Amino acid sequence: MKIELRDVSLSYDGHEPLLRSIALVVESGEFVLIEGPSGSGKSSLLRLLNRLQEPTSGEILLDETPIVSHDVTALRRRIGYVQQTPVMLRGSVAENFQLPFRFSSARDRAAPNSDRLRELMDDFLLQDVQLTDEATRLSVGQKQRVALIRTLLTAPELLLCDEPTSALDAQSREIVQSSLERLNIEDRMSVIQVTHLEVSSKRAHPRRYRLTRGDGLQETGAST
Amino acid sequence: MIEITPLQLVLCLIFVLVAATASLVLRLRLERDLVWGSVRTFAQLFLVGYVLQFVFRVNNPFLVLALYVWMIFWAAHTIRGRVQEKTISIFTPTFVSMVISYMTVLIFVTSAIVQVKPWYTPQYFIPLGGMIVGNSMNAIAIALERMFSDLRKQREQIELALCLGATYQEATHALLRDSIKAGMIPSINALMTVGLVSLPGMMTGQILAGLDPTSAVRYQIVIMLMLVASTAIGSTIVVHIVRRSCFTKAHQMVL
Repeated sequence: MKIELRDVSLSYDGHEPLLRSIALVVESGEFVLIEGPSGSGKSSLLRLLNRLQEPTSGEILLDETPIVSHDVTALRRRIGYVQQTPVMLRGSVAENFQLPFRFSSARDRAAPNSDRLRELMDDFLLQDVQLTDEATRLSVGQKQRVALIRTLLTAPELLLCDEPTSALDAQSREIVQSSLERLNIEDRMSVIQVTHLEVSSKRAHPRRYRLTRGDGLQETGAST
Repeated sequence: MIEITPLQLVLCLIFVLVAATASLVLRLRLERDLVWGSVRTFAQLFLVGYVLQFVFRVNNPFLVLALYVWMIFWAAHTIRGRVQEKTISIFTPTFVSMVISYMTVLIFVTSAIVQVKPWYTPQYFIPLGGMIVGNSMNAIAIALERMFSDLRKQREQIELALCLGATYQEATHALLRDSIKAGMIPSINALMTVGLVSLPGMMTGQILAGLDPTSAVRYQIVIMLMLVASTAIGSTIVVHIVRRSCFTKAHQMVL
């Protein structure tokens, strides 16, 4: 999946634009990191990409066709979005993992069995969490990872990650970060990750950008 | 039935005077509202009385229906005033669905159950219709208020479901059910407690007018079931239509 933003701007009710003339191309299988302070419009940028919101002006293309021409529920399953504040539904962790399979857009897909879920949870250092645990009582860091796994279960072609590791300690952050990068490399899943933190990555982030409020997106270079 | 003469009506004002005096002595500051409220009660009811007298005399189906639509119009207007949410326009969908659902229930009741001939006989149509409107107006206002507040409170959960590929209908399914339920609870409670806690107004009226209590009871049962049905149908339709305007075609929340 290739996604392209052409001259995209976003402003709320006649205020100064939050996003101004954003241009960005993300090729299939790329890993893009967007850094910027809080309030710079990072979350809004991601919300435009899975159409939770519409840009004020400009165009977003998905595989060379306007994003608005795609069926929106199918699109949102192809483009997974992990919200900044992890939202857990009341109920067990397992029930939260069932959620993506409850909707009509997933009618032809079966929910993964508990062995597969356990495996994924271990990958993301959730050995202490049981599938039967009440999801709303987990720590923020645990919720972030449950939310990430829940989105990965829809097998997205592009993953939008909004501060996925902000509540984790340095060591867990490192491991989650490398799990994401591994999924990117092994499963060819494109990733756009936004963060206000400095992401130290020994791995290859092919492209890094800096987002400043109302001032567009600047490429800060490729770290190899 | 014993007629109430104008003199007896004036005598009734003693109650208001007593209450207003009490308000003055105790500094409740209710005396103005009491007096103004009493004046309005007199004026509005007499006006309605004359309008009804006229409609009864003319006995024309179009006039009866027009009067009923006029009553529904004011009910929809009242609902709009009571619902805090102003970003979504609720008047037209409320009004239209109230007209459709109430007309259906009401015509069924007068023609098939009570079997009034003709079905639009104003003496039956207007009071029965008025009860439907008055009752379900509250239910619709409660249901809408609940829906809007839950939509705002549960925004993150709704967007989560949307992100995972839900349609807006799927994302708000439970919320919609809770809203309709919240509006229906008073009507359901009324079914449970009727006759135990208080005698319904219409039944009281019929008994005062000299009807045998067991006949009045039969009427009251028809009324109660009619009210629950129209409340359920009306609030379900309104809430569904209004929910649609809270989302765009691309399943984005506009609140």
